[in-house]
Amino acid sequence: MNNQELQVYSVSDFQAVCNQILDTAFTGVVVEGEVASFKVNQGKFIFFDLKDKTSSVGCFMMKYALRFPLEDGMRVRVRATPKLTNWGKFSLTVQSVMPVGEGDLKKSFELLKKKLTEEGLFDAAKKRPLPPVIQKIGVISSTQAAGYADFCKILNERWGGLEVQVAHTQVQGMVAADQIMRALKYMNERGEVDVIAVIRGGGSADDLAVFNDEALVRAIAASKIPVITGIGHEIDTSLCDMAADVVASTPSNAAQMLTRDREEVIGQINGDVLRVRNLFNSKVDDILRENRSLVARAKDAVVVKITTAESEISNFMKILEQLDPEKVLQRGYALIRGERKVGSVVNITTSDEIIDAKIEKIVQRS
Amino acid sequence: MAKQINDKIDELKTGVDWFYSDDFKLEDASEKYRALTNLAKEIEKDLVEMKNEINVIEEDFSKD
Repeated sequence: MNNQELQVYSVSDFQAVCNQILDTAFTGVVVEGEVASFKVNQGKFIFFDLKDKTSSVGCFMMKYALRFPLEDGMRVRVRATPKLTNWGKFSLTVQSVMPVGEGDLKKSFELLKKKLTEEGLFDAAKKRPLPPVIQKIGVISSTQAAGYADFCKILNERWGGLEVQVAHTQVQGMVAADQIMRALKYMNERGEVDVIAVIRGGGSADDLAVFNDEALVRAIAASKIPVITGIGHEIDTSLCDMAADVVASTPSNAAQMLTRDREEVIGQINGDVLRVRNLFNSKVDDILRENRSLVARAKDAVVVKITTAESEISNFMKILEQLDPEKVLQRGYALIRGERKVGSVVNITTSDEIIDAKIEKIVQRS
Repeated sequence: MAKQINDKIDELKTGVDWFYSDDFKLEDASEKYRALTNLAKEIEKDLVEMKNEINVIEEDFSKD
């Protein structure tokens, strides 16, 4: 093949064709490497190199797209599109970047935690309690995830009659944060649910790294609807947990916190009814006891009245007895009837005799 | 349905409180107790039977 058979390009055309080829070959690429020469220009453009033992590639991204703090030496995974710049330099235009490896994730976590704590994003005063009555729950999770299945299982076991709206999103990987944020926005805009539960089962530090994404953490803190998180296992704490209103240790625990236990409620209700029955019986017993006491007191009062009356009657009887003329006669007195003058005949009655006697003499007592 | 359940539970609580209150009247108690036990049975039945309605939103959150 000689030069006459080859296509001749202008520099611009050649660069454009290269970019077309790159676009076709890589609709998006994820590259993992170590950050070097990290710098921010004019407060909005970020440049760094991504390198491994033998190679290095320049990276460019907008600062607003940076959701994890980066430092030189950190191991990261970038989602990017390769590009040949107008100056002939090959670079990666980065859409998102995420630290990888436990050590670098931890470092990034601590840096962002410090920054957001200083901003007051995690202040306890900003936390809202769960609504007292929860009727509608918004769930953001992957419907294929085990954590989601655990959440639904516990929710259905404990309570019923709830309306649950599920936003299916990825819960790990570089696109998950944006999807979860869109779901949060969707639910907040509609305002149909009482609470939003962000659910994700256990996983490695890399799997859970999305829940330390700065934009997602801020979106959770800014949610108008209270947010509960149930992410990972008991030992995992993410920045999303710290920004949420309520934190559950696991997806199952989130379901527990959002619902009452129907068995427990049935037990309480039956207990209440039993206590009321006992109280009712006790009140009836009290009233019966009081009635018996009143009757007894009335009876006693009547007995006292009767005894008093009997005593009074007895006294009257005694007085009357004393006044009975026969009793007087029995004591030796006599009753004299007739005109009391000398010569007249009077009738004398004693206790056992009636005598007619003639008056022979009357002497006045002094 | 859960709202009705909560309303019923509130009604039951009010009914229970009446027995402990100064409004208690023996002549009304028997009828109120009967109503309370019926309500408790109804709540238990509802609690056992009611199911959650779980719907996956059709919106595609993978797109901007």
